[in-house]
Amino acid sequence: MGEKPNQANSVSPSATSAAPAGSKSSDLLSRHFSIRSLKLKTKEQELLLRVTVLCLVYVLAFITRLFSVLRYESMIHEFDPYFNYRTTLFLTEKGFYEFWNWFDSESWYPLGRIIGGTLYPGLMVTAALIYWTLKVLRFAVHIREVCVLTAPFFASNTTLVAYFFGKEIWDSGAGLVAAALIAICPGYISRSVAGSYDNEGVAIFALIFTFYLFVKAVNTGSLAWSLASAFGYFYMVSAWGGYVFIINLIPLYVLVLLITGRYSMRLYVAYNSMYILGMLLAMQIRFVGFQHVQSGEHMAAMGVFFLLQVFYFLDWVKHQLNDTKLFQAFLRITVTSAVVVGALALGVGTASGYISPWTGRFYSLLDPTYAKDHIPIIASVSEHQPTAWSSFMFDFQILLFLFPAGLYFCFKRLSDATIFIVMYGLTSMYFAGVMVRLILVATPAVCLISAIAVSATIKNLTQVLRAKPKIVHSCSSKGGSSAKTSSKGLLDQSQPIGKNGAIALLFGAFYLLSKYATHCTWVTSEAYSSPSIVLAARGAHGNRVIFDDYREAYFWLRQNTPPDAKVMSWWDYGYQITAMGNRTVIVDNNTWNNTHIATVGRAMSSYEDEAYEIMRSLDVSYVLVVFGGVTGYSSDDINKFLWMVRIGGGVFPVIKEPDYLVNGNYRVDKGAAPKMLNCLMYKLSYYRFGELTTEYGKPPGYDRARGVEIGNKDIKLEFLEEAFTTSNWIVRIYKVKPPKNRW
Amino acid sequence: MVSKIPSLAALIPLFLLLASTVADSDLAAELLALQSRSESGVIHLDDRAVSRFLTSPKTPRPYSLLIFFDAEHLHDKAELRLTTLKNEFALVSSSFIANNQHNPTVRSKLFFCDIEFKESQSTFGLFGVKSLPHIRLVGPDLKSPKDSDQMDQADLSRLAESMAAFVESKTKLSVGPIARPPLVSKMQFIFMVAVLLICTPFIIRRILAGDTLLHDKKVWLFGAVFVYFFSVGGTMHNIIRNMPMFLPDRNDPSRLIFFYQGSGMQLGAEGFAVGCLYTVVGLLLALVTHALVRVRNRSVQRFIMIIALFISFWAVKKVVYLDNWKTGYRVHAFWPSSWN
Repeated sequence: MGEKPNQANSVSPSATSAAPAGSKSSDLLSRHFSIRSLKLKTKEQELLLRVTVLCLVYVLAFITRLFSVLRYESMIHEFDPYFNYRTTLFLTEKGFYEFWNWFDSESWYPLGRIIGGTLYPGLMVTAALIYWTLKVLRFAVHIREVCVLTAPFFASNTTLVAYFFGKEIWDSGAGLVAAALIAICPGYISRSVAGSYDNEGVAIFALIFTFYLFVKAVNTGSLAWSLASAFGYFYMVSAWGGYVFIINLIPLYVLVLLITGRYSMRLYVAYNSMYILGMLLAMQIRFVGFQHVQSGEHMAAMGVFFLLQVFYFLDWVKHQLNDTKLFQAFLRITVTSAVVVGALALGVGTASGYISPWTGRFYSLLDPTYAKDHIPIIASVSEHQPTAWSSFMFDFQILLFLFPAGLYFCFKRLSDATIFIVMYGLTSMYFAGVMVRLILVATPAVCLISAIAVSATIKNLTQVLRAKPKIVHSCSSKGGSSAKTSSKGLLDQSQPIGKNGAIALLFGAFYLLSKYATHCTWVTSEAYSSPSIVLAARGAHGNRVIFDDYREAYFWLRQNTPPDAKVMSWWDYGYQITAMGNRTVIVDNNTWNNTHIATVGRAMSSYEDEAYEIMRSLDVSYVLVVFGGVTGYSSDDINKFLWMVRIGGGVFPVIKEPDYLVNGNYRVDKGAAPKMLNCLMYKLSYYRFGELTTEYGKPPGYDRARGVEIGNKDIKLEFLEEAFTTSNWIVRIYKVKPPKNRW
Repeated sequence: MVSKIPSLAALIPLFLLLASTVADSDLAAELLALQSRSESGVIHLDDRAVSRFLTSPKTPRPYSLLIFFDAEHLHDKAELRLTTLKNEFALVSSSFIANNQHNPTVRSKLFFCDIEFKESQSTFGLFGVKSLPHIRLVGPDLKSPKDSDQMDQADLSRLAESMAAFVESKTKLSVGPIARPPLVSKMQFIFMVAVLLICTPFIIRRILAGDTLLHDKKVWLFGAVFVYFFSVGGTMHNIIRNMPMFLPDRNDPSRLIFFYQGSGMQLGAEGFAVGCLYTVVGLLLALVTHALVRVRNRSVQRFIMIIALFISFWAVKKVVYLDNWKTGYRVHAFWPSSWN
């Protein structure tokens, strides 16, 4: 990023020198206007090409993410972005200090939530800054448009960083390819299309920016770069909880460098300043606070920091002592005592409770089976599922084939920078295998490593093409082309591929890359651009049918319920209800209080009278359920119901999963478990559904999402009454009746 | 435990001789004595013992029996998980005894037993056990063994913990936390730490000298490719979900399914096959650009080259085809609409 203006400046004089040369004075004309002056030098040509390509990639990365705006409209997608949008709105209206000290009483009723202290403010502040800048420049935009386009904008910036990163670890060719690959890579697009206003949108930019600056700092050993990387890290910490990946990967990288004997002063400077400054800066984020010195997840970084001091100290002593034997003895004593002291400190810290143990999410990354057995709330989220190979294929396509080749190239030309990218690639690849959502973190690494493979291969091939005519004159020029193969001049005579072979291979490479482009465009357009708040389906005649039920329901809530109404729903819809319906919710997507969520799960899975007690105690006035039986929408509450039971049963043992199953099967038809047929969720979902014919030739009460006729068609509600059902029955809202008169 | 069974079996007739007139409370005492002879506290029953402790005493009996129905000849059938479940059952038993050490009245309320199919077929008939794994709880008031509570598949799903939950919900006795034996015993752990501490200085010295296995680039390269292969093949998915390598076909049990259609799930063999295809292409590319140039013979070079190209092409095609088949997506390009 930092170099970008220089590049642009350096290209403009060369361009202007060519253009006005013809139009200005005749003296200049006679002197300069010749074919030669119009013709740029090879270096300038290359620069011009490079900048043009980069600009095109920059634009491409932006426009490829606009499918959703074109297909639907400019709106915020999914669940979490609605919270981010709501907070950004608050920030722009009330200012930063109000935002920082905001206690939100509209969510997690009756507990409330300290927003300022429990979020990563990076995204909101970024969007607000963009908004204020635009306002200063007199562009009258709505804050929503800014939010919608923040992610694509940062995706474009990521391509620039990818270019510089690629240039740093390999060469500018690899950088260009990396920029192009990452611009359209579905793994990244999945979280950065227009409208997906989520932390990841800016965090991936911050992530590879930090990495780039750190690698630059290690390569140069300059304080300025390490300072910059500390600030990059600060931005990352402010934007996303995934910063834990950085604070563990960088120490791991330093450790590997130490073990492989690549310790250097450059490394010492880069790591120390980055760690200390980055830590101090990160503490300014309230949500992170003192975790850098208190949480087990950050201890690796601190351990490596002290280890580095030991290394430095030993180096200094070695310099002072000339006696090797004495030094060996000294070395043994120091290292042993250092290790013992470190282990003791860690042990004492953990035992005394000063250092908190690892969180469940972190633990489940190291031992992937942990979450499945112990933390249902983590295991229930669909983006926390382990990744099947087809998901990798879907998100990376040919990059997967190029990745091992890129690894091989990196190992062939091992340097501090390539070691870093290899480690980044492998660790993130492993984590991507554990959780689907972490494919996102792996994407930049995969793009960079694949870019090395593509660039190195194509470079070799084109060099073969060019060097061929000269083979008669000299062999030495060709020696340069295959110098990377580390073969001697003699071996060069036996080029494995002649000119024809090279052409064929080049065509193959372009075929593959164009396949990649096709794939990415298709995936972006068809799979990753649906807002999920508005559903689209194909009608019987192949036309598009739009279900806008969610917004219908939320606006109904906004306009027809008292402002202090409390809405109970499963936590997935909490953010949307507060943001769009402007009503208080019991639980939302910030799953910070498991007991509260379990209480809602318990209410949903109890009989109506028991549920009524719970709802009274929570002051619930409306219950909202999502139901897909009419439209065939499969991610509705009935399909999520088992998780409600599991989470509820995890805290309240009265709720038992087997009560809702028949021989281990989850059913809603006549053979369903009696408790299932009479629990609140079932009643609310299927109330009056038995009267409705959903499909021709099927009996009334035929559930299209599960393909069965429901088991309980005669549902009577005693303590609730239907308040509103959207046009396609996707959202159903019930009013909790007031208690009966007692006299 | 296996060595204990003959001795116990020999003891039971002895008890039977003695026990024609003993009261109920003595039965419980006998069971306690039998229990103390087994390491985990699981009592091995046979037909006679069942009649003595279960069918002949008048209800209400002073104790409940939790019976694990075992069949040794089925232990090698992995899908039944009999050995795992039996071990877990023993774990619940030993935890129950350990947690109620100082509470003899609770201890004599519930006994864990197992019955072997080959020895006691009539008991299997008595309970009407047709399939394994099968665990039954016979409460104190129960007259007919057929009415006893059976543990569901769901109760077995989380092994010892869910078994204990089942017992607690049915008998109202507290089993308490399950005490799993640690992976390494305390002595082993201390020994390992000691060895590690002694080794550390030597290792660090070698690291400083720069001649460990870790300094070999090839080791790292192989490790890296392995991690790659491991991840992209979805192996983590298989470990977390406990996926089998292949499934028998539902319509035709003699055929096996290696590839599962549907994007959210995959089988073990599938992941390995695809992972290999990925890795082969990448490594061939590296081989062609770096190793093949050292081959002197030109025609050999060309031959290998063509083969490598062919294999790569085939592998890419195959994976793309498999992916389309699995996910059901049809990827196509978008042309300008004026071209149509």
